[in-house]
Amino acid sequence: MDPEAVKMLAAGLAIGLGAIGPGIGIGILGYGAMQGLARNPEARGPIMTNMLIAVAMAEAIGIYAFVIAIILAIL
Amino acid sequence: MAERKRRFLGCSLPVLIIILIVVLALLIIGFLSGGIGQKLLEKYEINLNLPSWLIAESPAPHLPASTLFHVFGLPITNTIIAGWITIVFLVLVSWLITRRMQLVPRRPQAVFEFALGWIFDFCVSVAGKENGRKFFPVVCTIFLFVIFNAWLSLIPGFASILIHIHGHEYELLRGANTDVNTPLAIAFVSFIFVAYYGLTTIKLKWVGQYFNFGPFFHSIGNIFKGKFNFMDILSGVVNAGVGLLELLSMFIRIISFTFRLFGNMTAGEILIMVAAFLLPLAISWAVYGLELLVGFIQALVFSGLTLAFASMAVTSHEEEAH
Repeated sequence: MDPEAVKMLAAGLAIGLGAIGPGIGIGILGYGAMQGLARNPEARGPIMTNMLIAVAMAEAIGIYAFVIAIILAIL
Repeated sequence: MAERKRRFLGCSLPVLIIILIVVLALLIIGFLSGGIGQKLLEKYEINLNLPSWLIAESPAPHLPASTLFHVFGLPITNTIIAGWITIVFLVLVSWLITRRMQLVPRRPQAVFEFALGWIFDFCVSVAGKENGRKFFPVVCTIFLFVIFNAWLSLIPGFASILIHIHGHEYELLRGANTDVNTPLAIAFVSFIFVAYYGLTTIKLKWVGQYFNFGPFFHSIGNIFKGKFNFMDILSGVVNAGVGLLELLSMFIRIISFTFRLFGNMTAGEILIMVAAFLLPLAISWAVYGLELLVGFIQALVFSGLTLAFASMAVTSHEEEAH
């Protein structure tokens, strides 16, 4: 295969596979937060803040994959 | 009986209709001049002859910041200029607001006090009253720098001022955190402060957490005294290994801090670029809103993690166990 094509394929695979894990993680976080909200609606504020921070953590892993994909694709 | 005008969304009906038409026209023109619209026009062979300044250029993201000029041999990149603009902005705003402090605050001062009070409460709630007050300056500085860096680079025109140097076009300004060096510098600052607080509060215990060879050598010494206890040696080795792993994780933390912030800011920039190319106006508004949120959350995460690690560093493991 053409090296350029492999590079683009690798970039696509990097972000595609790398997004699976954070996606599942954010899904679990949202599930937990919804359950917490349903059980204790008064705790909306703290649950929301903590969920956002945890989501940002999970998202950061997807961002690592994204950085790799960018480096592969345009550098 | 006085005539009562019907009002929708605070405007009278004709004004509302005019606003709707203008917005719709903008959206349609934006759609036609964007990447998807252009491709569709090409496919159905419609020739609209849009003026060339309307047609969106295809995005060309580039990762390394461009060097604009040199000062005493130091390369000055566009991200450095943006970073200094952020600093000057923060200093200027703080000075203007705190110049005439009043007991009963006026509106700008009240907003400022509310924001700082919110961060202060955050510090106190994580690290406790005494430590929270001690960590507040660092945490708040990191928070304000990161958030205003992200928000200032969202101002329209920030990244679109071009200058020509040696025949090349460069952006004059670019969000400082889209250059990997700025997040790395902030991560080092955060690391140094965590180490400083750890060293000044629990002193040698903080170092002892990472070089935990004491139990191991103790158990080896016991062999020569004739007391051979295999479990002691094993737990000594495990303790030393855990300490070294924590030392390693402290350095990995710097890298993860760096790439989290850098990746989020770069992803945001590229997302705006791509959205503004594919569907100008229609999607880029939503993306701008998302980026406001991302800037806030990343600032919160960066300063919150610094706070969490700092408060972990000032409580030794032995105290935790009690």
